[in-house]
Amino acid sequence: MSHVAAIGIDAGSTTCKLVAVDRDGAIIAWLLEPTEPRVEIQVRRMLDALRAEIRIETAVPAIATGYGRKLIKQATRNLTEITCHARGVFRDLGRAGTLIDIGGQDSKVIQIGEDGRPVDFMMNDKCAAGTGRFLEYTAARLGVPIEALGKRALSVSSEEPISSTCTVFAESEIISLIARGAEPDAILRGLHRSLVGRVVSMARSVGIVPPVMLSGGVARNEAVRTMIAEATGEDVIVPRQPQLMGAYGAALLGSAA
Amino acid sequence: MSTVAGHAPSFPSRREVIEHVRALGREVVAVMPIHYPRAMLRAHRLHPIEIWGPPRVPRVEGSRHFQAYTCDIVVKATSFVRSGGIAGTKAILVPHTCDALQGMASVLGDFLHPEQRVLTLYLPRGRRTSDRDFLREELQRLGAKLSEVSGHQPSRADWMEAFEAEDAADAALADLYRRRERLAVSDRHFYQVIRAREYLTAEQFCEAATAVPEGNRPRTGVGLMISGIVAEPLELFDQIEALGAHIVGDDLACGFRRVYSTSMRNDPFERSASRLLKGPPDPTCGTPVRDRIEALQTRMRALGARGLLVYDPKFCEPELFDVPLLRKHLHEAGFPVLHVEFEMGETLPHQTLSRIEAFVETLS
Repeated sequence: MSHVAAIGIDAGSTTCKLVAVDRDGAIIAWLLEPTEPRVEIQVRRMLDALRAEIRIETAVPAIATGYGRKLIKQATRNLTEITCHARGVFRDLGRAGTLIDIGGQDSKVIQIGEDGRPVDFMMNDKCAAGTGRFLEYTAARLGVPIEALGKRALSVSSEEPISSTCTVFAESEIISLIARGAEPDAILRGLHRSLVGRVVSMARSVGIVPPVMLSGGVARNEAVRTMIAEATGEDVIVPRQPQLMGAYGAALLGSAA
Repeated sequence: MSTVAGHAPSFPSRREVIEHVRALGREVVAVMPIHYPRAMLRAHRLHPIEIWGPPRVPRVEGSRHFQAYTCDIVVKATSFVRSGGIAGTKAILVPHTCDALQGMASVLGDFLHPEQRVLTLYLPRGRRTSDRDFLREELQRLGAKLSEVSGHQPSRADWMEAFEAEDAADAALADLYRRRERLAVSDRHFYQVIRAREYLTAEQFCEAATAVPEGNRPRTGVGLMISGIVAEPLELFDQIEALGAHIVGDDLACGFRRVYSTSMRNDPFERSASRLLKGPPDPTCGTPVRDRIEALQTRMRALGARGLLVYDPKFCEPELFDVPLLRKHLHEAGFPVLHVEFEMGETLPHQTLSRIEAFVETLS
């Protein structure tokens, strides 16, 4: 196995990710878990698990990112998700352009320059609408597993428009639609359209420079990918492991330091 | 009064200032932002103490009288007035800075009827001769009201004394900005002094400004220009420094936008009007956005700023109209722009700091 050059730790609001890279920037190991209330303790445990899995000979740089980044005492440095996601996606896809990162509790649009550095960005972090939480919340209300959301939304051609931009009001709207006998998959389709509308509107404020790239857990949802492509008129490219891009970028920045 | 490098500057408290001006035979007038004729108040034996939405005041009382999308400055100031925060003052002056402040003047004057007289000042949205004529007449109208409030009709000598004192304080403020690079104080310390102009007398402010020490204070990291209405809380400046950046200049309504040029006209109303119309570009004065962009670019180049942080209270309409064009044109000129909207409070939200941190990283 290659030597570990750096470790990236993404202490996100929904999941906690660790990525180890070698000197060439290739991922040699990774871990992903739902975030626990005491993220600093969780990261310590995950680092031990990572050390048990791969040989880490000397102290290697560990860069922390994510909302809990400042709690990670093992980190040699911490950087924001903006910088780390941009670096991770740029390395993975090799493209400058517009990155949309839809995380559990926030969403960001980052314009990535030709050198892989963020040129401009915008964040939505005060409202759950436009984030993975929006989908999770309503999936629970409809009794649909989160992994099946995208497929179900694309399985129908009819669509129930959701006009509320607020998660709480959208839930009331969904209850009204269910009470009226609306088709659950058509509601799901409308729900995805509403989320995509918000993030694309944010992307337009930054300026969409093709290609459009997608990271974060929600990038695995095929309806989100399809609808972003429809709304922007651009192809949407997704890295192989979209959820790891923050931790991966952090590890890359650590190995380059 | 003492000011020591590395320590917080020490000023008289608002209460001490009120006692001091009363001993001098002046009464206190509460004043809302941004532009108003300071010398005119002094000539009428009145002293202005400004209200920029006190951060510790809850919104509840003010929220009863305004829409949810009204800025914190107006809502919190209304709460402050309703909760007795300006008790003992003779009047509240509300300049027509924006529609929200004009609305506040109407709500106070027509519906809430505080014990203080509610005075308005309609400011023109331009800097033409006709604007100056309009403002002179508006100031004459305000002057008559101020005489009613104070019971004093200023003499020629009163006007001259007032202009001399306030011009000296204006010059001290301008001089602080000129000397900024040579001052041996933190950004927080600097803005504490700048903002002390909101309640100190002209003489006290001159003393505070002169006391700011010069010396070597190496400034590291990314130089930022800060724009917007008011940078609250002051902890913001400490956090910016901790993130590896510093403020090289500002375009704040509570700061540089009130560096006025002195006017030497004979007529006191004409002179007051000229002063107010000779400030730097300001969207609340109807300055075309292209002039603001040009002025910002020139200053950012001269001061070595790498990017612009626009830091506004939520729902600030005059600023929101300008921000998209500021972003576009400054970005094209090589100056990235970060727009952050905040709710006035005692602490800085994690999200706000994260955005500023990410912005500093993109510029590093």
